[in-house]
Amino acid sequence: MSDEAKRPAFVQTRRAFMATTTALAGAAAIGLPRLARGAQRHPKRGGVLRFATRDDTRGLDSHRNFVYYVSHPMAGTTGGLLDFNGRMEPVPAIATEWDVSKDLKTWTFKLRRGAEFHNGESIDAEAVKWNYERIMDPKIGHSFTRGVLGDLERVSVDDKYTVRCHLKNPSAIFAANLIYYPANLMAPGSVDQADTHPVGCGPFKFKSWKRHDTTELERFENFWETDAEGNALPYLDGLIGYPKKEDRVRLTALRTGEVDLIDNMAYADAAEFESNYGKDFNTWEVPHVGTAYISFNQKNGPFSAKDNPDAHLLRMAAAHAIDHEGIHQAIFHERGAIAKGFYSKSSPWYAEDIESWPEYDPDKARAILKKANGGDATFLIVAQDSYPYMHQSAEIAHAMLQEAGFKISLEIHPSPVLREKYQKGDFHLDSSANSYRLDPDAWYARALMSTSPDNKLRYGYESEKIDQMLVAAKVEVDQEKRRQIYRDVDSLVNKDLPLLYTHYVPLLQAGSKRVQGYQPAFAGPFQYAGGGLRTTWLEG
Amino acid sequence: MLAYTLRRIVYLVPVVFVLTVVVFAFVELLPGNIVDTLAGSEGVEDPEVRRALEEEFGLDQPVYVRYGRWVWRAAQGDFGYSLITRRPVSVELMSGIPATVYLALVGIGLSMLIAVPLGTIAAVKRNAPIDYAAQVTSLVGISIPEFWFAILCVLLFSLHLGWLPSSGYVSPFEDPLESVKYLILPAMAVAVRQAAYTTRLTRSSMLDEMNKEYVDTARAMGFSERKVIFKYTLRNAMIPTVTISGLQLANLLGGTVVLESIFAWPGIGRAIFEAIIQRDYPLIQAGVLVLGVIVVVINLLVDLTYSVLNPRVKLS
Repeated sequence: MSDEAKRPAFVQTRRAFMATTTALAGAAAIGLPRLARGAQRHPKRGGVLRFATRDDTRGLDSHRNFVYYVSHPMAGTTGGLLDFNGRMEPVPAIATEWDVSKDLKTWTFKLRRGAEFHNGESIDAEAVKWNYERIMDPKIGHSFTRGVLGDLERVSVDDKYTVRCHLKNPSAIFAANLIYYPANLMAPGSVDQADTHPVGCGPFKFKSWKRHDTTELERFENFWETDAEGNALPYLDGLIGYPKKEDRVRLTALRTGEVDLIDNMAYADAAEFESNYGKDFNTWEVPHVGTAYISFNQKNGPFSAKDNPDAHLLRMAAAHAIDHEGIHQAIFHERGAIAKGFYSKSSPWYAEDIESWPEYDPDKARAILKKANGGDATFLIVAQDSYPYMHQSAEIAHAMLQEAGFKISLEIHPSPVLREKYQKGDFHLDSSANSYRLDPDAWYARALMSTSPDNKLRYGYESEKIDQMLVAAKVEVDQEKRRQIYRDVDSLVNKDLPLLYTHYVPLLQAGSKRVQGYQPAFAGPFQYAGGGLRTTWLEG
Repeated sequence: MLAYTLRRIVYLVPVVFVLTVVVFAFVELLPGNIVDTLAGSEGVEDPEVRRALEEEFGLDQPVYVRYGRWVWRAAQGDFGYSLITRRPVSVELMSGIPATVYLALVGIGLSMLIAVPLGTIAAVKRNAPIDYAAQVTSLVGISIPEFWFAILCVLLFSLHLGWLPSSGYVSPFEDPLESVKYLILPAMAVAVRQAAYTTRLTRSSMLDEMNKEYVDTARAMGFSERKVIFKYTLRNAMIPTVTISGLQLANLLGGTVVLESIFAWPGIGRAIFEAIIQRDYPLIQAGVLVLGVIVVVINLLVDLTYSVLNPRVKLS
């Protein structure tokens, strides 16, 4: 098989990139009519957008800290070897072309000439090598960022604009891990100021940060991307981020005109917002920022086959007790959709014919519970306190399970306490969620592979069949075939029930009518190739 | 007075020492730790990663060594670095403490401006309509939760009238006028509840004082009623009010997390709360210690104020 034949389906040439990532063509190609209409209106440059977000950046060093691309304004400063488009598909960025060896163990990237960091340093192969080595340093790289480079063994420099990544294991999906989120690039010469004045290569450059108060960014004049007419992106002069943790505080700030854009609002408000205020504000539906689920502890306890021969029966009983429609209505106010697999209809990875989980049938749940070994145990469902829908889902699941006869208690904890509970196996069910993953491997292999540290820490699920399927998927270059493998994995998950998918987590972003040309990617990020805040401008 | 002040300052040393022990022990006892958080699920299993992080943060040392180092450095004003932001803890504290102190001082000042005249008038005009009005108003003030009052203020003054910003903070050193705009609503939310307590206290203290013999003597000597009330009675009646206001101020310094969330006010309460969630040990320890020291100093100042209000109070 030639190298070309081995190239994954999403690998694009520079020409294809140019056709798909400029603002107008990109918008048309990815079916974002609002953005396309905006661009035709000859966008104006200028304006400083005031952006209220749920979260604030934890720290400025983007390798040490997780910079969330939906609600951390600092994500505007980050750039990577690759980018993604509005459909969350990998597209070229600093790397304009890439290729992979026959054994899928060596990836070669050609870099964009003339691309610069915010301080004027050239983005060359040495800089990329330095960045990936820094991220891989366990004393530096954030676990999530380090995790995406988990397969990387070493990086070599062929010439100034060619960098080669040598992997420990074959991978057809490695390139998708090099998107700015989270594997972003910072200027090597700025490392000493990484915690005080970071220098990245995204569309905006850092100006100032007052923790829990404001993040000020300004346009990076030498950003590599242009619109269809050759105008440099982004259009905005700058961006001021205001962290306002409470949903209603953010929404009030928008309604009083103190901010121009908010990253989300409470589901209860979202249900009414468009009908009540649609005339005065723009809204943008984000159908799938993540997937919520309830997992079962299979390391120990009544849901674990190691301790209970009827563990699967008990998981079935729990699944029959959960009313997905109830969660859809009560928690999400009928926004978003019930999840039968990890990927929703909005995603290019969506598979239609996944076999469903056990249907809601509390009588059946009660009957199974009565006859199953361990049914009389006392169960504990836990949830993290950070996102309301996570603990609200736990509360409603707790009530549903009680209704079906489970003796169950509920605990809501911050992340460090929950982590300790995971380590000790001191829980039975966990209401959680995972953010949207550009490549399915980042979810399935982490959550379900028996050797995955995340799975070992939290669920302790072991399935030889799923392990084999995931290994096969990772080296499959045909996207359609991979989609089918993941469809089969989800069908098996719904049958074996290491976890029970519950809902796709939606968001409703809103902004003043001044905000033009903006459309978040469907999973929520506010900056991406040819869209988001890169193509936004302010009227008036 | 000077000797008393110096003696009280010396007494602060054991208090602060106990405070350091309590703060350090409290943080040690928190479930979950920063190494697990930073190492992530991949790192937790890797002893090399754990060791590297523990070594970097000094967590591989015995508790008493860490405590000793922390106290020694803190005594020199060095609180180390935040484990999350990697910036000096002093920088993190200074980004939150001024906003909190600003809000607390203005809130308490405002509450006293409301409470002292209202409580005094209510006492002087006892059982008159104004007394009843003051009592009912203060009862309502005590009964309304602070956060609810804050939300009502936002709805009225920001959303419906559009007079004031609903949330945010501008430093008074950057733009004093703009800063006041952002301050009014949170300061009102702080002041109204505190004023409700202080009004009732001032009224009852005034009533106590007005029944004392020195007041009758002053009146018998022909002093005007204004002089009797404001020069003699009120000064004595202020002692419990000042004590309570001092405690309220101390309480506000660390206890406005809810208001800070409602008004997106970047205060130290919220910063410490976040630090606890993230297990940012140096920031928690330094934040609680600094707030503790401020509370101790406020108590000292309150004690010293007694003799200013009533020179007969002997400071010994």
